[in-house]
Amino acid sequence: MNWFFLIPVFPALGFIALVFLSRAWRNRLIYIGPVLVGLSALLAIIGFIRYFPGRVIGQPFASLSWTLARLGGVRLTLSLGLDSLAILMLAMVSIVGFCVQLYSLFYMKDDERRGWYFCVLLLFTAAMLALVTSGNLLLIFAMWEVMGVCSYLLIGFWYKDEAPRRASIKAFLVTRAGDLGFFVALAAIWSACGSFQLDAIIKAAPQFSAATLLVVGIGLLWAAAGKSAQLPLSVWLPDAMAGPTPSSAIIHAATMVAAGIFMIARMMPVISLSHVALSLALWVGIITALFGAFLACFQTDIKRMLAFSTISQLGLMFAALGTGAIDGSLFHLITHAFFKSLLFLAAGTIIHVTGTQDMRKMGGLAKRMPIMMTIFSIGAFALAGIMPLSGFFSKDLIMEEFLTHGHPVVFALALVMATLTALYVVKAWFTVFFGASRQEKSHAHEGTLLEIVPTAILAAFTLLLGVFNQGWLGCLGFKVEMPTLQMASISTGVMLIGALAGFLLYRFRIDNDWLAKHAPWLLRATEARLYTDAVYEYLIIKPYFWVSALLWRVDARVIDGAVNGMVALYGGLTKLAEVTDSRLIDGAVNGIGAGYKRLTAVAWIVDARLIDGAVNGVGAGLKQAGGLAKKAQVGRIHAYQRAVVGAVIVLLIIVLFVVFVVLKGVA
Amino acid sequence: MLSLIVFLPLVGVLLITLLPKKFEAAAKWLALVTSVVDFGLVIALLTRFKIGSAAIQFEKEIAWIPQVHIYYHLGIDGLSLPLLALSTLLIAIATLASWKITVKPRLYFAMILLLSVGLSGVFLSLDLVLFYLFWEIVLIPMYFLISQWGGPRRQYAAIKFFLYTFFGSVFMLVGIAALFIYTGSFDMIALRHLTAGLGSGAFGTVAWWIFAAFAIGFAVKIPIWPFHTWLPDAHVEAPTAGSALLAGIMLKMGLYGFLRIAVPILPQAFHHWQLILGILAVVSIVYGAAVAFAQTDIKKLIAYSSVSHMGFAMLGIAAGTAAGFSGAMAVSISHGLIAAMLFLLVGVVYERTHTREIAKLSGVAAAMPRYAGLFCFASFAAMGVPLLSGFVGEFLSLLGSWGSAALPHVLVVIAGVGILLGGAYMLWLMQRFIFGTPSAAIEGQPEISARELTTIVPLAVLVVAIGVYWTLLLQYADPIARMLQKLVGA
Repeated sequence: MNWFFLIPVFPALGFIALVFLSRAWRNRLIYIGPVLVGLSALLAIIGFIRYFPGRVIGQPFASLSWTLARLGGVRLTLSLGLDSLAILMLAMVSIVGFCVQLYSLFYMKDDERRGWYFCVLLLFTAAMLALVTSGNLLLIFAMWEVMGVCSYLLIGFWYKDEAPRRASIKAFLVTRAGDLGFFVALAAIWSACGSFQLDAIIKAAPQFSAATLLVVGIGLLWAAAGKSAQLPLSVWLPDAMAGPTPSSAIIHAATMVAAGIFMIARMMPVISLSHVALSLALWVGIITALFGAFLACFQTDIKRMLAFSTISQLGLMFAALGTGAIDGSLFHLITHAFFKSLLFLAAGTIIHVTGTQDMRKMGGLAKRMPIMMTIFSIGAFALAGIMPLSGFFSKDLIMEEFLTHGHPVVFALALVMATLTALYVVKAWFTVFFGASRQEKSHAHEGTLLEIVPTAILAAFTLLLGVFNQGWLGCLGFKVEMPTLQMASISTGVMLIGALAGFLLYRFRIDNDWLAKHAPWLLRATEARLYTDAVYEYLIIKPYFWVSALLWRVDARVIDGAVNGMVALYGGLTKLAEVTDSRLIDGAVNGIGAGYKRLTAVAWIVDARLIDGAVNGVGAGLKQAGGLAKKAQVGRIHAYQRAVVGAVIVLLIIVLFVVFVVLKGVA
Repeated sequence: MLSLIVFLPLVGVLLITLLPKKFEAAAKWLALVTSVVDFGLVIALLTRFKIGSAAIQFEKEIAWIPQVHIYYHLGIDGLSLPLLALSTLLIAIATLASWKITVKPRLYFAMILLLSVGLSGVFLSLDLVLFYLFWEIVLIPMYFLISQWGGPRRQYAAIKFFLYTFFGSVFMLVGIAALFIYTGSFDMIALRHLTAGLGSGAFGTVAWWIFAAFAIGFAVKIPIWPFHTWLPDAHVEAPTAGSALLAGIMLKMGLYGFLRIAVPILPQAFHHWQLILGILAVVSIVYGAAVAFAQTDIKKLIAYSSVSHMGFAMLGIAAGTAAGFSGAMAVSISHGLIAAMLFLLVGVVYERTHTREIAKLSGVAAAMPRYAGLFCFASFAAMGVPLLSGFVGEFLSLLGSWGSAALPHVLVVIAGVGILLGGAYMLWLMQRFIFGTPSAAIEGQPEISARELTTIVPLAVLVVAIGVYWTLLLQYADPIARMLQKLVGA
């Protein structure tokens, strides 16, 4: 047992402590959130310093395993393992988590349900920390789902409004649609090697059949596409911004959405055995990167712009995984986590002081909040890929990977994406911080210490992670070199082009209003997110509502109608029989006689309803049955009661028959 | 020991019947004490049960009608033990949940206890005739619970419930008779060898028909599409405790029948039925989920969700693999806990508002936050979120059916879509029922009471315990699953 396994335990304990309390006590105890995550962060940093150098991915220096169950006698093992990647991710998640917790103290201070917010956030942090430590695919999946629930709860945190509720369902269901792939992949893996342990899977993978490899590869990529908001499952992320901003910072920017990338990186030795899966990742990723960057250019809502930017950056990481190498992708995952959560938190402050998310209503904030502006700028410039901020280095590593692995087209597309990124970042930067304030009355002011400290920590990482990449990234076993002069000039060149374009768009006010006049179709298309949502709306959601209502009618009228119809018909027949045979029905003998008649009646109904009905057209028969079913309820009950009598008689006959047979057998 | 567990509630019934009308309010206390003691006996049994073996334990066999080889034969193994524990627990909880019954309380609580006798008897009988007897006994109290204490359409629902499930059990009876004709035995365990001795030649065709008879009987009970239409009516009209018991334990009788009788006794015929059962299971999953999505009545929605969940159990059985069988057993228990929880929770709100219309119930979270938290918890459990018990069974069913040679992979994928659809109707229900601004019916309603909490919390604890530590349940299921896999030779 290694002490560092306690890292996920602290926030989990916090969750358990808070969840059973009353609202008032929960609200009082929110401080345990930052304290516990801070402890995790401290431990993770110690672990990082002590263990990180010289370790190799996939070779844990400490592990912990236990048996979850036995399946057909086979042990189903779960495990945690600390390898260099795990300890790196632990450090990242807990540091970002700590900053977000700290910031949330400020951001949520007036909310009456803040205790619940911290409670869910703690559960989320625990799940993410456990996920990155997991040495087992099933455990990864379990934590992945728990995070999905937390994401649902936090997106829908302000549940009295319509938008958060809708967004939370959308997020949960779309990611769950992705999880279908995870299910299938897990089932295929279990069938192929009888274990979910990562090392066992990786060891057995070369012997997997091609079909298994394909199913596993595509299933896992599909799952990652759901979690990491890749096309066509990217639709949930922009709406997810309805949740509290700090929760967006950690869940929908830094960690949960990166879990898809992380999982694929972990499983790369298996996925890279399928060329189809690799190409799929490459192309889905780069198209998503372009899609997100393109749409980010048109956003006026600062959080939505950041959300599209996240989709785009995750797309770049996804594409990088498609080269079969994981170093660029993981490098970018780490740097992106820091600068994007920084951007979200800083945006939270901006939203707080201006009271709007609409960038068009901001402006002139540079003078009013210089410290926050500086911090935001560090994040923004890292996103745009300006040297020497971290984003520049990690993006360039990915670019180089595209070239070295022979994907020049993807490389070119990535350059386009980089240009667009610089464009929207610079445009937004000018719009928010410069010019005159576009609000009638601006109360904008500098952020408080609780806002500045966490964002400043993140900014420090953003400043340093890139320059000192060899210091830490090399420890993952990657050979990372400083970008070549050639690559640096190309990427700086495209960045400058984009930045210039962004400035010009800002300077000459070529914005959505301008588009509405000159190219309304483009505005419409971007507002509809290139019709991605419409595809779901018209191909899946509406048809499903329709099918579900139809099946419900079928169930009530046809299936149940057939049952009721049979009974009603039977009831009518017995009534008829009673009337005609009333003189015959007399005494004890009649019981059997009537019973027999009823038996034949049943046979007749079966014959008429089922066999004849099938021949003559099922539709007509069912329609009739449905009509009968609509008869008054009382009549139906009588019919049923009569049927009870019939059934008892049938039973009696059967019992007599059985006894007869039995006695004969004994004799 | 086993006989005591089965018949102890009968003592309670007797005492309640002897109660004078003046003291009829004491009936609930008698029922509660009896059911809690009965559950305590099961716990005692649990501690003495030998884990890791598929053999029958605590066996008791007394000649009853030896002329026709009918025995009073009880016994327990890893298949029946969890179900017995669930059943006795739910009876105790149902008693507590019925605390406010004031109409004819003596009859009501006597019926609940009688139900307990029937249920325990079903899970403990090892003689087919005895099994059939208990199987039918279960119908009678449930019929009265629905018809006397049910909702507005209770008469219709009760008679339909009775007739429909009775219709199924007649088929089962035919199956039992046929088995006896061919083997001369009603012994559920011995029959495994006796039918194997008959070979697959001429008996093969007959076995197919016998399996069909059993399958219809059990499919009605589970219920499997298209034999499910009794279920929504019965669940909706039954009183809260009745719905919880119906969904919680009575549906599992059908699954138990497959695992105890149809599959092990007729493994050859089972092979011919696997694909059909698998397809019907997947239809149930998707169809149940889709129809649940269209409901406006909260109880009906949960009732249809049962059809969908039971489909997963059926799929696991149809797979014929150890993981699949384990999955089916896990679904049985887990759905028993979760569906009971959901019905009890719905009952809490129904008791306050007297409506089940989702449109009239909204914003529960603002009025009753603790209740809302529990409902969300139960919903997530129903959706199959890992770390809660719902995931265990559905996951194992999918795992088992993927590994099954008899079922095509596409069926598994469609079943997986069913999980997604399960999320859809549950979330859609939560959005309308839990979140939003409180409706007139909900506004100002008191928070869930301590007694109501007591009915929910034990179930919730078990849902988490099983979800986190699968062994808790699978230590009983796995030996049985392995034995079944060996019998069907997959």
